[in-house]
Amino acid sequence: MWKRVRWGWDRAAAYLILGAIAAPFLAMYVGFFLRAFGKGMTLGILPKEFGFTNFRFLWEPIAWGLGQTTMWAALGNTVAFAVTSGAVVTVVCMLAGYALSRIDFKGKNLFLALQLFLHAVPGQVLLIAIFFLLFYIKLLHKIPGVALARASLEIPLGIWMAKGFFDGIPWDVERSAMIDGCTRLQIWYRIFLPLVRPGIAAVFIWGFLFAWHDFIYVYTLLPGTTKLMSTLIQSLLATEVIDYGYLAALSLIYMIPPLSLFVLLQRALLKVPVFGGKGV
Amino acid sequence: MRVTLNQLSKHFGPVKAVDNLNLEIGEGEFMALLGPSGCGKTTTLLTIAGFYKPTAGEVRFNERVVNELPPRKRNIGMVFQSYALYPHMKVLDNIAFPLKVQKAPRHIWQERARKVAELLEIDDLLDRLPGQLSGGQQQRVALARALVREPDLLLLDEPLSNLDAKLRITMRAELKRLQKDLAITTIFVTHDQVEAMTMADRIALLEAGRLQQVGAPEELYHSPVNLFVAGFIGTPPMNFLKAKITEEGELTGEGFRLSLRKEMRGHIAGRRVEVIIGVRPEHVTIGTGETEGEVYVVEPLGRDVLVTLKVGSATLKALTRPEETPKAGERVKLNLLGGKLHLFDTETGQALLKERNEG
Repeated sequence: MWKRVRWGWDRAAAYLILGAIAAPFLAMYVGFFLRAFGKGMTLGILPKEFGFTNFRFLWEPIAWGLGQTTMWAALGNTVAFAVTSGAVVTVVCMLAGYALSRIDFKGKNLFLALQLFLHAVPGQVLLIAIFFLLFYIKLLHKIPGVALARASLEIPLGIWMAKGFFDGIPWDVERSAMIDGCTRLQIWYRIFLPLVRPGIAAVFIWGFLFAWHDFIYVYTLLPGTTKLMSTLIQSLLATEVIDYGYLAALSLIYMIPPLSLFVLLQRALLKVPVFGGKGV
Repeated sequence: MRVTLNQLSKHFGPVKAVDNLNLEIGEGEFMALLGPSGCGKTTTLLTIAGFYKPTAGEVRFNERVVNELPPRKRNIGMVFQSYALYPHMKVLDNIAFPLKVQKAPRHIWQERARKVAELLEIDDLLDRLPGQLSGGQQQRVALARALVREPDLLLLDEPLSNLDAKLRITMRAELKRLQKDLAITTIFVTHDQVEAMTMADRIALLEAGRLQQVGAPEELYHSPVNLFVAGFIGTPPMNFLKAKITEEGELTGEGFRLSLRKEMRGHIAGRRVEVIIGVRPEHVTIGTGETEGEVYVVEPLGRDVLVTLKVGSATLKALTRPEETPKAGERVKLNLLGGKLHLFDTETGQALLKERNEG
């Protein structure tokens, strides 16, 4: 299947230009990995030897200020936060996306336009309002409560994503299910959800990723004693002596879960649903 | 079950998709809704299924008005043009789905799905997914799914249009036979008049949301009530010629003069002067007759030959036997009165001779 690539000047030029653009980013990643695994830097970038001493937080508690915590506690909090947010985004968007794709009601277009507008509003603007809202419903300083607030920021665009997936299912399939005796809700979970599995994965990743790398909501709305990975890294930066190798190693661990989730779900994300019948 | 459409209208904004439709489909009848695309036949079918609410009028199942009844409570089976199988379910689960939704016990739905699969000769495909089936097989699965619940009414939306030409002819006969065996009241939508003619007990011909004529296939073929019906039914289509009625009761037009028999003259005497004559190609005979024409094109069809003729400035098609085929460019005599002659009002398009007439 593979054809031999013929090399010419044009091709070489393309690689050269693209390589030049990519080089600074590649250099940063190389530096990042060298720092994470290196020991005793010379000239700022060249390590004397390699080892896992920077990863000592895996088995030792991490001290910050006067208190201490463990990396595992922070990682656990982050997973709980991001999964809750992803799940909320998924459930809300899958229900709303179906309704907006299939059911006619007054103000539907206005509602859809409003979602785009909401998406354009930066999350920081809402911080104070959300602070009081969470305070009154007694969810302030609690991971599920803040995850709920974080999810609400990604729901507007998530609804559009979900609607797009539902739009792709032919009307005949839905009508067929209605004839076969299904209610709207039964159609949703018996026919449509299995058909939009890639959409579910996409929307979940959407909600998960934004929560995973969130800093400002976590920092503002959770107490300083409840550390997530992002706030843990920040608090280590705020100390007087910064151990960059230690930080790089911690950041590497921070990177792994979303990266592996992507690899795990990319097949689902790339899979285009195949519908029965010709010419559909 | 009997289906009655009573002054049914369905409007989409300013568009009258179905306009004041009255139609009765009898118990066990096979009714075709026929018409060109955009004539409202599919809208009618979707209204009967319950997907659209009528703008005015009513849909009755037997005596009961079902306007407000949701599709899932109508106990109907439907086969869609795209078949609309559930791609994530195996064939067996697709067929059994209507029973599973009703929470029928496992042994019941398995048994009934297998039985209907056997009836449609797809029992060897039960473990496959719809994506692994050919178009013809998918259609049988869709039909099995529609029949498994033993519906009171079967709706078919262009069921044959996605099949190749050969399979379509086979399925035409099979569907007709199946419908008669099961005696389920069936309504099917098609734009193909041959399909409607061959399969249906009666045809309802629609155009621009209005019912033009309803009747047995032969009735529409032999006694069309207007120009639209006359032109739509039959291949090759009916010939139309402009003509005038003379005082002696003859029909004259550019290049022809037809003297009619006495009874006919009586019928058209005193009618409007300008009319449109309709003659089917198989009723035009070449060789003898009082009209003259020039052979323009000769197209052999195998059993017959289709001859296109110029009469004056008008073109005329005639079906003849191969041994009587003239050559292109030849001038020939024509008899337009060999079969049935149709006359239509120039302005309204209504048929002028409703009674049986033989030239």
